[in-house]
Amino acid sequence: MNFIPHTKEDISKMLSVVGCSTLDELVSEFKPRLSELKIDRPLSEMELVSYITNLSEKNSQMKYFAGGGSYDHYIPSVINHLVSRGEFLTSYTPYQPEASQGVLQILYEFQSFICLLTGMDVSNASLYDGASALAEAALLSSAYTKRKDVFVDDGLNPAYLKVLQTYCDGTELTITNTIDENTACVISQTPDFYGNIKNPQGLIEKAHQYNALFINCISDPTSLAILKTPGEFGADVVVGEGQAFGIPKSFGGPYLGFIAVKQFLTKKLPGRIVGMTTDDQGNEGFVLTLQAREQFIRRERATSNITTNQTLLALTATIYLALLGKSGLQNVARASYHRAHLLHEKLRKNGFESVNTNPFYNEFIVKSPKASEKIIADLMEHNIFGGIDIEDNKLLICCTEKNSLQDIDSYISAVIK
Amino acid sequence: MAEKKFTKEHEWIEKSDQIIIIGITEFAQDQLGDIVSIELPQVASSFKQNDVMAIIDSVKASSDIYCPVDGEIIEINEKLLEHPELINQSPYEEGWIVKIKPNNPEQIDSLLSKEQYDELVGQSKE
Amino acid sequence: MKLIFDYNQSNTEHTPSQEKDVDLPEELKRISLPLHDVNEIQIIRHYTELSRKNYGIDTNFYPLGSCTMKYNPRVNEDLAKLPGFSDLHPHMPASHVQGALQVIWELEENLKEITGMDAFSLQPSAGSQCELLGVMIAKKYFAEKNESRTKIIIPDSAHGTNPATAAMCKFQTVTIPTDDRGNMDIDEFKKVIGKDVAVVMITNPNTLGLYEENLSEIKDLAKENGALMYCDGANMNALLGISKPADQGFDMMHLNLHKTFSTPHGGGGPGGGALGVRSFLEDYLPVPRIKKENEQFVFDYNKEKSVGKLHSFYGNFGIIVRALSYLKSWGSDIQKVSQIAVLNANYLFSLLKEDFDVPYDRRCAHEFVISAKNFGEKSTINIAKRIIDYGFHAPTIYFPLIVKEALMIEPTETESKETLDEFAKVLKTIIKELREDPELVKNAPHTTPGRLDEVKAARKLNLRWMPKES
Repeated sequence: MNFIPHTKEDISKMLSVVGCSTLDELVSEFKPRLSELKIDRPLSEMELVSYITNLSEKNSQMKYFAGGGSYDHYIPSVINHLVSRGEFLTSYTPYQPEASQGVLQILYEFQSFICLLTGMDVSNASLYDGASALAEAALLSSAYTKRKDVFVDDGLNPAYLKVLQTYCDGTELTITNTIDENTACVISQTPDFYGNIKNPQGLIEKAHQYNALFINCISDPTSLAILKTPGEFGADVVVGEGQAFGIPKSFGGPYLGFIAVKQFLTKKLPGRIVGMTTDDQGNEGFVLTLQAREQFIRRERATSNITTNQTLLALTATIYLALLGKSGLQNVARASYHRAHLLHEKLRKNGFESVNTNPFYNEFIVKSPKASEKIIADLMEHNIFGGIDIEDNKLLICCTEKNSLQDIDSYISAVIK
Repeated sequence: MAEKKFTKEHEWIEKSDQIIIIGITEFAQDQLGDIVSIELPQVASSFKQNDVMAIIDSVKASSDIYCPVDGEIIEINEKLLEHPELINQSPYEEGWIVKIKPNNPEQIDSLLSKEQYDELVGQSKE
Repeated sequence: MKLIFDYNQSNTEHTPSQEKDVDLPEELKRISLPLHDVNEIQIIRHYTELSRKNYGIDTNFYPLGSCTMKYNPRVNEDLAKLPGFSDLHPHMPASHVQGALQVIWELEENLKEITGMDAFSLQPSAGSQCELLGVMIAKKYFAEKNESRTKIIIPDSAHGTNPATAAMCKFQTVTIPTDDRGNMDIDEFKKVIGKDVAVVMITNPNTLGLYEENLSEIKDLAKENGALMYCDGANMNALLGISKPADQGFDMMHLNLHKTFSTPHGGGGPGGGALGVRSFLEDYLPVPRIKKENEQFVFDYNKEKSVGKLHSFYGNFGIIVRALSYLKSWGSDIQKVSQIAVLNANYLFSLLKEDFDVPYDRRCAHEFVISAKNFGEKSTINIAKRIIDYGFHAPTIYFPLIVKEALMIEPTETESKETLDEFAKVLKTIIKELREDPELVKNAPHTTPGRLDEVKAARKLNLRWMPKES
């Protein structure tokens, strides 16, 4: 495949302008030269498609009843067509705003949607994913309060906890189990990893009593269509994973982190932020703003080194939210809720033990009467990925609007045999 | 009117009774460009000479403001929070940043005089 | 100008019809959802129109320095979207995702061969996250050796992420000036290198587009003092199939899959980072590692020395598929990419040398830096805005910080000679305009909207739409 448009003649003309006789001479300074490169020969497009498709077919395709940070919601067709447009796909960070009003406006809409859904005042133009967004929120809290302790409530997604721990180790913050005058932030996920919907009121009050920031973490934000917002409860920071908004599961990435804060923390937000402004004729337009917070200006005084955001995925989420609108989003949330409760009820009637102490949204835990590996294996034979195996024969099961009544019946048949 | 003193970091200092008023110079505000925000210290907080006590952000730059003497913040110019452009428009008057009660007033004497500061600025303009 | 919130029409149903309300305690329930319903046709028109107000590589030449805006092969988009990849749930057991694991493993193997590094992690989401990982690894490595090292050395031409990363991990940044050949000043470096330095972080070729001539000496001094050498590989597009950073003496390096390896920039992301290390650092890499055992691929979480995790799963898999596809298309011919990237840069540099100020008159690598300082202060921003009127995108401006009125230009190998000739002509025309009709340039771009007020945007913050009820 040739992505190089030069003819032999072009190359020779250009070499003479530059003053070299060969391409090799041009790169002679780059030492040491490598002695060999053990890589396969190039593939034509046809061969490449065959090779990679073959790899894709070595993965089992399933009906999904699993969540745990990656959600199988329906992705309407229109989204991909819009987001694949070359003007979006192949553009860069909008540093010359006049050439990038499209992307900038959509990011402004994204920031707005996140605020509307979370009940917060300001959002940024996205972060890498939910886990790193949580880590960035901890860094923000530490910079704001000038403290180093991070309190984490039970029920945080274990992978998020590991990422948070890694960031804390590297940046000299400590995860603790008390809330006191050294606490920079109090972190709680709701609905939590086990599906429990928590009322954060008490924890928020405790955090504020010690002047610590309260950070709410959200794994499946379709829940925001039916749950009281973290903003209304009094959270200072909300972070989460936006993958549920029209982004494919894609074996774990790329995903979409979001962060939203109350007004007083605006200037502490990491990453890119889009603002509306005017030109000298009074025409409205959008620009990246408050850039002095970022690493390319603050350099060693920046609190975060973050550069890339997830623009194309923020565009995806924006179009998803716009397309579904109020009734569509409520629909998705209600359907996810009801399917999960239906499956939960049917499992209970078939020997599975209910474990959740709180009401749940679309994920729940049950304890299986048989060994959980056997349940998972039986389901796999029916091309059903039945849930995540937590220790002690417990399964973390998730439903979305994609799981039909038939799917649920198939699930039950597979486990009771 | 007391004579102003200056620092290498482009702050000016003016004595007023037992306290000193601090801001940044004309040269500094010009270098920074349009100022969009300022992080001010808390009143009653203490700083040592050369500690960072404030940060000024412009559209294209971010600059630390250093405390020129050991002392305690008595007053901050809160107007700057809503109107940071005052620093660009009036760096020596309306754009003052903090008022400090110095612990060791002798430290002020070893700062730069106007002539010394002007020479410094003259050197940095090619 | 219409925001999506200005529409309010009934929507098309995309999912099975309406369910009844949920049965939750009142204290947990949402009261109002301030969104509208919008018809699919309006959605298509709204976002299609916005796409037409946006410039991409597909539109025209996009010569941003160090961003490597090369053509994004469309076949890679199709491949990443294959259902066997895009639909795959990351919690599936290894036995059922052998194809996906092979994709990750194969990309790691290819990158090892190209760079000479012994192991790679594809977990980071971006170059800056790779730097964070690299610095965390260094921190842990020296802590285990009981060596107190507090400093990280970087050149003053470095990208802002380098010192920002150092500061995040509580290291002191020591900045070395650039000499008049565009290299890191070796005498200044010698004054600072010592046993309190943890990492020497270099971009090579550097952000001036120049190959570090003192690299060998820097490497020797670092090794003598036990410091680690980190290569910011943002500029790897100059070295593919030509020189391996491991052979140059680096212990760690990162690659940007969205730069050198053609995955699309998407308006600012998603990207993909790859951190490569020599074998003595391999055990510090994040978990899980993907291992090949008896023709099967498995997750290996059994790495006690690992710094932990940076990603909730295995990395930006969709980006990894694209990068692997790109590498397999080029295969053993990959040297051509860098040869032509370097040729294009030197050719365009030759065309522009006589018109601009040249801070470092050396043969460049895959990018070069020129200065518009002779045309007066702010010429660079004005030139950049005027370039938009001619249908091109400006290069990177005002970076690196050590060059006044800098323009940093990276053509990449996918641009034709004709495009470069045309771009050079446009720049020469604009310079003529600066002399003969300067207002035309100062008031550029003559688009709608025109030059946007960034000061107002920062002073009078308007960062989101507000519903009328509130």
